Amino acid sequence: MTTLLLQLLLNALALGAAYALIALGFVLVLNATSAVNFAQGDMVMAGGYVAIALAAVLPLPGIALLPVVAVLMAALGALLSLLAYFPLIGRPPVAVFISTIALGVMLEGSANAIFGAEPRAAPALVGAGAIELAGIHLPYQRLAIVALASLLILLQHLLFAKTQLGRRLRAVAQDREMARALGIAAAPLIAGTFALGTGLAGAAGLLLANEWFVTPTEGTNYILKAYIAVTIGGWGSVPGAVVGALLVALFEVGVSSALSYSVATALLYAAVLAILFFRPQGIFGEAAQARA
Amino acid sequence: MSLELGPYELRLLTVAGCYALPVLGYQLVFGHAGALSLAQGAFFGLGAYATALLATRWGWGFLATFPASILVPVALAALVAAPVLRLRSHYFALATLGIAQVVLLAAVNWTELTGGANGLAGVPGVVFAGVPVPRGWPMLALVWGLVLAVMLASHLALRGRWSRAFALLRARPLAAAAIGLDEGRMRLAAFLASAACAGAGGALYVHTLRVVSPEALGFPVMVACLAMSVIGGAKHVLGAPLGALLLVHLPEWFRFLDLYRNVAYGAALLAAIVLAPSGIAGALARALPRRAAPAPKPQAPPAPRRPRADEGPLLAIDGLAKSFGGVRALDGVALSLRPGEILGLIGPNGSGKTTLLNLVSGFETPDRGAIRLAGARIDAMPPHAIARSGVGRTFQTPALVEEMSALDAVSLARGKELVAARPEAMHFLAEVGIGAEAAAEKVGRLPFGLRRRVELARALALQPRLLLLDEPASGLTAGEREALGNLLRRLAGQGLGLLVVEHDMPFLLGLAHRVACLDEGRLIALGTPAEVRRAPAVIAAYLGEAA
Amino acid sequence: MQRLVLACLLVLFSTAVRAQDVSIPVLVPLTGFLSLEGQSQRNGALLALRNPPPGITPRFEVADTGVSPEIAVNAFEKALGSRPLAVVASMLGTQMLAMMPLAAEAKVPLVTVSGTAKITEMGNPWVFRFFPGDAVVKTAQARYVIEELGKRRPAIVYQTTAYGQSGREHLDAMFRKLGAPPVFEEGIGVDVKDLLPVLAKVSASGADVLALQLHAPSTALLIRQAASMGLGIPIVAGSAIHQPSTAALLEPRELAGICAESAASPISGGSAALEAWIEEYRKEFQSEPDAYALAQYDGTMMVLREAAAGARTPEALARALSSARYEGLAMTYKSDGRGNMAHSAVILCYDGTSRVPQIVKRYDNIDGVL
Repeated sequence: MTTLLLQLLLNALALGAAYALIALGFVLVLNATSAVNFAQGDMVMAGGYVAIALAAVLPLPGIALLPVVAVLMAALGALLSLLAYFPLIGRPPVAVFISTIALGVMLEGSANAIFGAEPRAAPALVGAGAIELAGIHLPYQRLAIVALASLLILLQHLLFAKTQLGRRLRAVAQDREMARALGIAAAPLIAGTFALGTGLAGAAGLLLANEWFVTPTEGTNYILKAYIAVTIGGWGSVPGAVVGALLVALFEVGVSSALSYSVATALLYAAVLAILFFRPQGIFGEAAQARA
Repeated sequence: MSLELGPYELRLLTVAGCYALPVLGYQLVFGHAGALSLAQGAFFGLGAYATALLATRWGWGFLATFPASILVPVALAALVAAPVLRLRSHYFALATLGIAQVVLLAAVNWTELTGGANGLAGVPGVVFAGVPVPRGWPMLALVWGLVLAVMLASHLALRGRWSRAFALLRARPLAAAAIGLDEGRMRLAAFLASAACAGAGGALYVHTLRVVSPEALGFPVMVACLAMSVIGGAKHVLGAPLGALLLVHLPEWFRFLDLYRNVAYGAALLAAIVLAPSGIAGALARALPRRAAPAPKPQAPPAPRRPRADEGPLLAIDGLAKSFGGVRALDGVALSLRPGEILGLIGPNGSGKTTLLNLVSGFETPDRGAIRLAGARIDAMPPHAIARSGVGRTFQTPALVEEMSALDAVSLARGKELVAARPEAMHFLAEVGIGAEAAAEKVGRLPFGLRRRVELARALALQPRLLLLDEPASGLTAGEREALGNLLRRLAGQGLGLLVVEHDMPFLLGLAHRVACLDEGRLIALGTPAEVRRAPAVIAAYLGEAA
Repeated sequence: MQRLVLACLLVLFSTAVRAQDVSIPVLVPLTGFLSLEGQSQRNGALLALRNPPPGITPRFEVADTGVSPEIAVNAFEKALGSRPLAVVASMLGTQMLAMMPLAAEAKVPLVTVSGTAKITEMGNPWVFRFFPGDAVVKTAQARYVIEELGKRRPAIVYQTTAYGQSGREHLDAMFRKLGAPPVFEEGIGVDVKDLLPVLAKVSASGADVLALQLHAPSTALLIRQAASMGLGIPIVAGSAIHQPSTAALLEPRELAGICAESAASPISGGSAALEAWIEEYRKEFQSEPDAYALAQYDGTMMVLREAAAGARTPEALARALSSARYEGLAMTYKSDGRGNMAHSAVILCYDGTSRVPQIVKRYDNIDGVL
């Protein structure tokens, strides 16, 4: 019984780690622009397909492809900001919400046209296999997902906390006017934030698309999870997004184990509505002012 | 020519009409109330399911199923309104999306009732009082007849005061509350009406399609509604039918693109939001020259009874405290203000002056303490109710809608239809020295000083007992300041109480009867201008700031 | 009015008869979650339409029906403009249910491979299903589990879609009929990623066999996670796993011991005619054929044969389809009077060394129609 519980916990952690990368990208863009990037889920899907397309050319393990996928996706993210964010500066935040929904529709349609609707699998991060530890089956792949996601989250944290670039990004996120007054050019930094957020989504896409496959339609599912994670964790809070993502995954795995998947989904939304009602600042408090 | 339409063309037109209805509703909640609801697709599907269930299971006729299809989504909207409507944009979007997901989950999993993922087949066509309405032209006429009726109703309801009230609500929610507009009720009305329209559209949709399945509740329907309003135009009734017609036909026209059809669909939506922010209808409306309403002759409304100075304090503040996070913005402040008195409020930046005004206006609720207006507690009242009980205010930067004329901005505060409100609004504009020409001008085109005066006129149009002014003289020329001072003295002379926050000391000290000074949330001095100017605590606070 | 309609119909039919060629539009889902199956359906139909029997030249247009009934009905109404002899119609049950009343009104046969039981239960004489319905394949699946594997405590995991719910109903009823009521049942959404929770519950329920009714992604996920956790009981899946693209997601060792029902398994090989057809398919579409492609090929070919034999009006065709017997590549087809043309199913199993399954059991003529 304990073995099973630990196994479930590892699954929840792996899923939560991937969700965390998605939520992280979402919240970085949110902080820099106070706009909701609804295409974030479709970027995860796109990341999965980029990995698959790359693997067809470069037959390397996922861990070697990951940097390339992240860079390509970052470029796509910068493109996204040019198409769907910069032309809408000065308009209500809802405009970006809609423009990114439109981009999501385009991404989904493209994936369907190029790769077809059948589920596809990206290359494994490391070889198949598993560690047997005290009767617990720990597949390398899941352990690698948790490790790699933690590493990316840590790198992101270091980037923001310790580097000049990170300080500038934060300055823009906190107050664009002030940043401009200090001589920081906001536009490239905002584009950079989109690139970073999308790169993280792409990494998550690669991680998810081996273990859980990828189909063109699943972006919506991921953006919902990220949205919920960020709301639970506190709108705009970076650590909150990570914790929120882990909570969502734990909740899903826990409730679906104890009851059923449909109950888990219904309860997740009920819980979100309850949180919005009783504690709209999220469990850990809202970091971003209600600018949106 | 119209007779050449085949069944295929007629079907597309009918389906477009079925979508135009939820889009008309969506214009209210999204376009006018500015709330990004993601439940409109669910309301549409609920209407469809209600008709399908009642017609196939219990054999109800159209005259019974149609109202029921409107009532079911409205009932759900009413049920969730209380927790959901007070949420701000992104939370509201998520909450409504969550509700839509739960409805979808119920439709898929409650198989005994809904037929599960297969849905319900065999829904009859419309039978109107025993007379069947066949598909083709008759159904088209029924659907578009209803669309036109809803368009007309929507146009009549919104053309005057309410579209402007919603515009103020979207752009400056605090200013809307400050002239007595009840944001909660306006958003509720828009939300319920949007659900009703969606239900009606869903009912006709299922009569047209003859089957219903969970796809009718899904996110793609929601995206379609959103795209139709954005592309058609979210604030103009014509936008709904235009958007629906275009987006129902677009996938059919794009059939030649084969698998890339949806990419083109997304690109069209993206292009519309970037290139035509107010949609096709908005662009058309701008292309047509429009005469601004000429300013009518001023007409003074009946003067309200103003309290006399000996009736006791107009405003009494006692032990007021408010913290934000760990920061004490106000700490145990006590003040009072008599009718006809001008009380100046000074203090260094961040000393709590604006917080005090916001507490009196009801924008914030105090942690402790009491605020009384003419003896009655107002500290637990919502801001619009406080405004209606006679508290007017202005903001540090004028909170006006740039595209609205000065005349309409002021008329809104009169709380009646524009035709009746405009002559009275002219009276208040005249009082602050704005003539007919400037009154007809859009606020965004007026110089800063005039905007301040428009905002003051709007506050006066409430005919308040108490006026809260937040830095009324900043940004004004010397001449404008003098005129403002004279106006404020005259108002006080009429019995109005004025609480004025101002940084311009010569202006304020020359104007106020008494002055209160705040520092770090505490009241450090209160007295005549001369007394306060000499108070050591005040000098220290200001010197400290200056140094 | 009625006379006018009658006159119009007469004109319509006379032109159809006079025409040298016939129109057979292909309306199948090419985008959305069922587009993989829809593309198989299209490919099967195209292979028949491009190689018609002598004496007939079919015209055809392919249109995407997406996922919603609305788009399918729009496409159908548009296709009616070409005065079709028959329509190759979507395998998505909800779209079939939406098109059927229109087909009855316009009197056009719908030739489909949809498995949804309900479409032949509505008393609509214009529906012809060339894929065994749930009543056939689920009987085969349940009988294999009980009679061949000798299991008594089945668990069912199904998708919360039309396909899954309809299959579950038949599977559940069949297990009960065979005296082995399911000990565990759960529906899962298409977006569920982690299947360990349901596998754990299956395990805890004491089930001795797991029957699946899931779409391709969930089937592959479940099989992989079952292999990884060591579920320890046999899995008999629905037809999704027989699709080569689904099996391609899994390692052969993960597939070891997995069985599944299907109407056919073209890649498992068979008669010389079937082998030739498979070659043709690979050449034409650069992909591996599945049972849907084969069934839609058979159905479309039967339509073309009957048309070549003289059934040049939709009504004559419907009469012919209702009464004729047709030896297809996958099986023998004959209507049961309600439009169910297919009555056979196979059970196939993977041996753990390749992704090509072996047919281990045939259930021919399950409902005794042939």
